[in-house]
Amino acid sequence: MNGLMIKALVFSAILMIATIYVVMSLDIDIFADSINALTMGGAIAIAVLTSAISMKYVNQMKTDTASGELADENWDGIGEYKNELPSGWAYSFLGTFIWAMWYGFFGYPVNAYSQIGEYNEEVLAYNEKFETVHKDADEATLKEMGESIFLVQCSQCHGVTGDGLSGRAQDFTARMTKEQVLYTIEHGANELSYPMGSMPPMMASGKDAEEIAIYVAGGMKGEQPASFAVCASCHGADGKGSAGMSPDIVSYDGTLMKHALGHRRKGRICKMPSFKTLITPVQEKALTVYIQSLAN
Amino acid sequence: MFHWLEKNPFFFSVAVFVVISFAGLIEIVPNFAEASRPLVGMKPRTVLQLAGKNVYVKDNCMSCHSQLIRPFKSETDRYGDYSLSGEYAYDRPFLWGSKRTGPDLHRIGNYRTTDWHENHMFNPSEIVPGSIMPAYKHQFTNLADIETAYAEAVTVKNVFNTPYADDLIGTRAGWDAYKPKVLAEAKAIADNMKNKDVKDAVANGEVPEIVAIIAYLNSLK
Amino acid sequence: MQSNAALEYDYSIAKLFTYTTILFGFLGMLVGTLIAAQMAFPELNYLIGEYGTFSRLRPIHTNTVVFGFTVSGIFATWYYVGQRVLKVSMAESKFLMAIGKIHFWLYFVGALVATVSLLLGYSQSHEYAQYEWPIDIVIVLIWILWGISIFGIVGIRREKSLYISLWYYIACFLGVSMLYLFNNISVPTYFLTDGLGSVMHSVSMYSGTNDALVQWWYGHNAVAFGFTVPIVAMIYYFLPKESGQAIYSYKLSLLSFWGLMFVYLWAGSHHLLWSTVPDWMQTMGSAFSIVLILPSWGSAINMLLTMKGEWNQLTENPLIKFMVLASTFYMLSTLEGPIQAIKSVNAIAHFTDWIPGHVHDGVLGWVVFMIMSALFHMVPRMFKREIYSKKLIEVQFWIQTVAVVLYFTSMWIAGITQGMMWRAVDEYGNLMYSFIDTVTVLHPYYAIRALSGVLYLTGFLIFAYNMYKSMTSSKQLTEEPQFKTPMA
Repeated sequence: MNGLMIKALVFSAILMIATIYVVMSLDIDIFADSINALTMGGAIAIAVLTSAISMKYVNQMKTDTASGELADENWDGIGEYKNELPSGWAYSFLGTFIWAMWYGFFGYPVNAYSQIGEYNEEVLAYNEKFETVHKDADEATLKEMGESIFLVQCSQCHGVTGDGLSGRAQDFTARMTKEQVLYTIEHGANELSYPMGSMPPMMASGKDAEEIAIYVAGGMKGEQPASFAVCASCHGADGKGSAGMSPDIVSYDGTLMKHALGHRRKGRICKMPSFKTLITPVQEKALTVYIQSLAN
Repeated sequence: MFHWLEKNPFFFSVAVFVVISFAGLIEIVPNFAEASRPLVGMKPRTVLQLAGKNVYVKDNCMSCHSQLIRPFKSETDRYGDYSLSGEYAYDRPFLWGSKRTGPDLHRIGNYRTTDWHENHMFNPSEIVPGSIMPAYKHQFTNLADIETAYAEAVTVKNVFNTPYADDLIGTRAGWDAYKPKVLAEAKAIADNMKNKDVKDAVANGEVPEIVAIIAYLNSLK
Repeated sequence: MQSNAALEYDYSIAKLFTYTTILFGFLGMLVGTLIAAQMAFPELNYLIGEYGTFSRLRPIHTNTVVFGFTVSGIFATWYYVGQRVLKVSMAESKFLMAIGKIHFWLYFVGALVATVSLLLGYSQSHEYAQYEWPIDIVIVLIWILWGISIFGIVGIRREKSLYISLWYYIACFLGVSMLYLFNNISVPTYFLTDGLGSVMHSVSMYSGTNDALVQWWYGHNAVAFGFTVPIVAMIYYFLPKESGQAIYSYKLSLLSFWGLMFVYLWAGSHHLLWSTVPDWMQTMGSAFSIVLILPSWGSAINMLLTMKGEWNQLTENPLIKFMVLASTFYMLSTLEGPIQAIKSVNAIAHFTDWIPGHVHDGVLGWVVFMIMSALFHMVPRMFKREIYSKKLIEVQFWIQTVAVVLYFTSMWIAGITQGMMWRAVDEYGNLMYSFIDTVTVLHPYYAIRALSGVLYLTGFLIFAYNMYKSMTSSKQLTEEPQFKTPMA
């Protein structure tokens, strides 16, 4: 060790401590798996080896002197010694060849390794672990799980509290607002692809529509207006969608979630895209529980 | 031997050339036929989508967006199924990208819509708060070069046997006959948009870049 | 020791390329600093309409620093070093002088046209090979002219045996020729369709995975033969020449050279790890990347050992300081790259800012430092004036060193953080962060990087000023200095 080397190593240490501090402050487990751990190890290796070895040679400018037998040639005043290879360099070179052999024949055998196979194993292992831990997840667990999915996948448009960011997207704190009900009655709806088919426009109008809107937006509490009969023929007298034949207009039930995530619905930002390819059935269930909890 | 090479520049150069060329031969050549085979039943992009791809290239979206979903659970959870070689068989050039300043787009067509793209391209940080993506408002007024896209489709059909239909003919008359199809496709996209200038342009037989690039993005599935 | 005083070398072409090195260096770094700032402050995207967005400017930054600054530097040093180590003046051949002049002017005009074409959005989309086919043809012509110049001078040389720098210049010429030709083969659409559409447009000869393979075989090795090989050529000449020290070991030079030639090309597929490229190819790319560490380090170590016992030169001569620091940044970069190419590490590093961080400790700390040192060494000998100010070099050295350190440390932390955030899952195995979370968290690092860009550019402006004064108004030299460059 010499002074230069120590300074360089101190710099490396500061860099690594800063890196680890930032990562840990984001709640990331550095030892979560071999990929995270090897990356940190690799980063440390880069910093430490470069600092130590380059400064070892730079220090020789202080401590050593040039020597050796000069070659006969001379180019524009530049000479050349016939010194031997530095042994550390030569052995390391050999070492990397051996490592490359190991990597290609044992680590990731060129004739056998498959990254898709490894992916399948990763997914399988995850599913097994998930099954055993959360086989009979209770309501509270599902809600918590749903919340974290919501924050990652939904909150951009629907807001972190699910309020729809002042009308940019569906407000989950209520099933429907009065304006939404009126809009739907006026324009009809056919985006969710329920078995009952599309809802025609202008099923009600004027005072009737107004009455229905207030009733539905209020969570269908109190006395049912007579004009609701036209709605009840499809959505049921209780508004629960006749057992999955049409949308539930009282709450965000599981069937509604399935249809909403799989089809495109109109909002102010855009028609809500389909998330069929990104949300698994378990996640859908968790999201349902969480979104229902928002409306209460 | 090396000392002899250093005195004979011609042989020195030959030696260097041999040493540097055989890695390419061994690594790239054996797999060439295999890697260019398309998935069964895959269709090449339409002329409008090709025009959109050219807008993607022109505005160099790949400097920030990848189109390659790696086989990790964290990526398939975020972006959908991992990418397959056959899906890229008609991509000239490939647009995998090398940096994700923004998210991967390889399956963006599955989970974003025409109107989302319209709003987002016009002002990204309004749709995604905190976004550092620049707005691409000029795509709403610049016209996409659908004629060049047609020429590209004809070229890949004739040179590389890309399976396009027989009505792609490499003449001015062929293009004039084909153009209404491209405009019809553009109109279907514009119908789902709200920008009036864009709708008017399409109604007048012009295709703004935004229409073409949305057609392309919607085709990424 | 033979004297060089008898021979008057002709530096007219080297001077021309020196001017473009400084010009394109400034432009490339200016655009680089702007796009770095855009990532921290997106409002900066709208300075010049559609031409000012990050996406449109990024290829202009990369191509201007690669094909403008670095290639100019390679040509400038070639037209200087080539004559000297072969002991023959270009002026001895009218033919070579003419070739040199055509080479420069075709290059200069070509570079300007190429930059405008990128600004207008003409692109093949292959990274570092964006230029459309008409410009590719001009580039091939420029390269052929350079080849004629190299082998022309070699053909009439007096020094029979090729100096190490020449090995690397020749390898640079051959490697880039092969790579550029194969990667840019494309079919123009205009001619096969009876004149439909744009005459500039073409489609790549290869598709999908094949196109990716050829592109990164090119992309990786364009770095090898553009940013490594010719820069090693420079340090092998300018460090011993400036310091007056003999090269430490011929054997180490030899093994490093042939090792680099042999191993480098295999490593290209490490840009495509975890992609749809076959597994065995990816594994080869990873394995050879690690082997590549030692041939790269060999040259750096050879240079550091050449300076053995010369501590006082290191402290007193800022040019030596630049070159020694360049060697250590070269070591950092050539260890960082291979480690990022290990599959497990690449799973995190790929697609993140750690990669631009790695590239820039190589280019800012190694390529630019080395080219500037070369110019500092050459200009007093070409213009027969001493360096205008040693003090300015010292100031520039510290500003730019701080800038490089800020750049690579900020991107190091940003990249690792972002890579780990993308993979992070909560206790239920669901993704922990939405994509936008992983963008907003990087803001401070992008701001630091923008600051480092401003610092580095400032240093480069000091350099340009110092160069200008050294060319025009510093003290004249009566005879050429043998080793150490005189400076005021």
